Amino acid sequence: MARSYPYLQHVRPVVLRYGLAVVSVAMALLVALLVQHYKFHEVGLPLFLFAVAVTSWYAGVGPAALAIVFSALCFDYFFAPPLYSLNFTLNDLPSVLILLTFAALITRFSAVRRSFEDKLRQARDDLQTEVIERTQQASLLNLTHDTIFVRDMSEVITYWNRGAQELYGWPPEQAIGKSSHDLLRTVFPLPLDDIRAKFLQTGRWEGELKHTKADGTQVVVASRWALRFDEEERPVAILETNNDITERKRREEEIRGLNLELARRSTELEAANKELEAFAYSVSHDLRAPLRHMFGYAELLQKRASSLLDEKSHQYLMMILESAKRMGNLIDDLLSFSRIGRAETQKTLVNLDQLVQEALSELRQETSGRDIAWKIDTLPVCHGDRSMLRLVLVNLLSNAVKFTRKQPQAKIEIGCGDADKDEIVVFVRDNGAGFDMKYVKKLFGVFQRLHQTDAFEGTGIGLATVQRIIHRHGGKVRAEGVVDQGATFYFSVPNFRNPGRQP
Amino acid sequence: MNMLGRILMVEDDPKDVELTLTALEEYNLANEVVVTRDGEEALDYLYSRGKFKTRSSDNPAVILLDLKLPKVDGLEVLQQIKSDEKLKIIPVVVLTSSHEEKDMVASYKLGVNAYVVKPVDFHEFVNAIRELGVFWAIINQPPPGSVRK
Repeated sequence: MARSYPYLQHVRPVVLRYGLAVVSVAMALLVALLVQHYKFHEVGLPLFLFAVAVTSWYAGVGPAALAIVFSALCFDYFFAPPLYSLNFTLNDLPSVLILLTFAALITRFSAVRRSFEDKLRQARDDLQTEVIERTQQASLLNLTHDTIFVRDMSEVITYWNRGAQELYGWPPEQAIGKSSHDLLRTVFPLPLDDIRAKFLQTGRWEGELKHTKADGTQVVVASRWALRFDEEERPVAILETNNDITERKRREEEIRGLNLELARRSTELEAANKELEAFAYSVSHDLRAPLRHMFGYAELLQKRASSLLDEKSHQYLMMILESAKRMGNLIDDLLSFSRIGRAETQKTLVNLDQLVQEALSELRQETSGRDIAWKIDTLPVCHGDRSMLRLVLVNLLSNAVKFTRKQPQAKIEIGCGDADKDEIVVFVRDNGAGFDMKYVKKLFGVFQRLHQTDAFEGTGIGLATVQRIIHRHGGKVRAEGVVDQGATFYFSVPNFRNPGRQP
Repeated sequence: MNMLGRILMVEDDPKDVELTLTALEEYNLANEVVVTRDGEEALDYLYSRGKFKTRSSDNPAVILLDLKLPKVDGLEVLQQIKSDEKLKIIPVVVLTSSHEEKDMVASYKLGVNAYVVKPVDFHEFVNAIRELGVFWAIINQPPPGSVRK
């Protein structure tokens, strides 16, 4: 019925509706005439009313009006005396009036019913559209990864999307209807009353909350609340969108922890550096003084008691003097080694050729009287701390001079390896005492010596100093050697085209 | 104590004092030395106060100043001397064990006239002291108002 109505009303042409009026009145007339033929009188009126009712029911008000006019005419013609004439007499009046009144009433009722039905249908259609729309929206909300739920003003959950289910572990049917703060055991960053007051005032709130999931673990969420109002501007619901930031928070915590640790370590390091500096200062002042006294008094004793002492005693005194001198050298070398570790490097373009010449002139005392065949290649310009690099060359060259002392013809070569685009490799090669490659790792350690002191003097700090300086330039040191055939020391420094490189 | 020395030595270590005096003896300069054992005593001497109240007001020809001293340290003494109108003309030679650059820089900033690191080797030490003594006490013309002999 509900479905055929629009069909009759909208699809069928108007002719059909009015046709129905004509046909139903004609049928009523036919039946009335037939019944009258069998001597049943006074049935015409109800039959016409029935025809009007049918027309009004199925075809609407217009056709009903037509049916009323037709019914009145037929009634007057066939059933109201004088029969078979359209003459209207006063005697007909009550019957016609009854017909018209009832017909009008029926039509009216039918029209009212219809309008109700139309409204109902409209409402139903609207409802259906809204249901479809809402279902689509809800399924869209379900698509997001965000956790979204809606709670009413008494905190009871009314909507729970799939993101919420995935994050917290409860399906919608378990979550909806529960108090959200109880279910999630929310921990607020501020008192809830303060949050609520601000939220109701502005309609929005953002902050970090701690929630407990279905499995009992805690999550940290970045929460955003939006207030929904009804038509009368009364707050009715709260849309809460949460993002799980537990992992981010954990990392932030971790980073903060690491930063604190770093700060602590650098403070420690600073303190250690200060201590080292104070230590070096104290060594410089306090260790040298007693040494000087040992040396001085031994010397004075030697001078004063020279005639009283025998050969052996003189030798003993010599030992004391030598040891004191050696210790003095050790202290000086150690101090300069520690100074290199502490000093700031001041990097500029350095002409290595010039530096080699300076180093050689510094070693003049050691080379005088020696027959050394020098082979000095042209060296490039590099980028580094001039005085430190000079110390490197002085150390390497003085080693080469020292360890070739026992060779009848000493050869020392200074050269440059294939220039890389980033760094320059310089080597110092000699044909001196050399060393066993087995001990190459010990070569650059502080106080490490591969030769006995009486064969070649030294403190064992020179190569450690070289390594420290080169490392501070971001370069590398290495050595090759064969016992009694010589040694080659290589060091690399940043190319002048690559000054940015740091250790 | 010789209250009229051409050299004022400020040194707390008796052994260093003895070795220094030994080195100066060779040029008969040892008698010209007044030894003070800390910074306070040195300032007392320079201002003729305390136990030096009775000394004449002549300035020494040179001051040999150690840096590491009890009570008032060498740099403080130096600062005091160089900020005093009457004293700042006295040549001051810092004679110290310290190789430390910051001591050297601080001393020169305060206006020291020479900075000498005491060598460990006694021969070098004797030579250094002797040259210092000869230069400052004999060769160099001290400023007016200094002890003259």
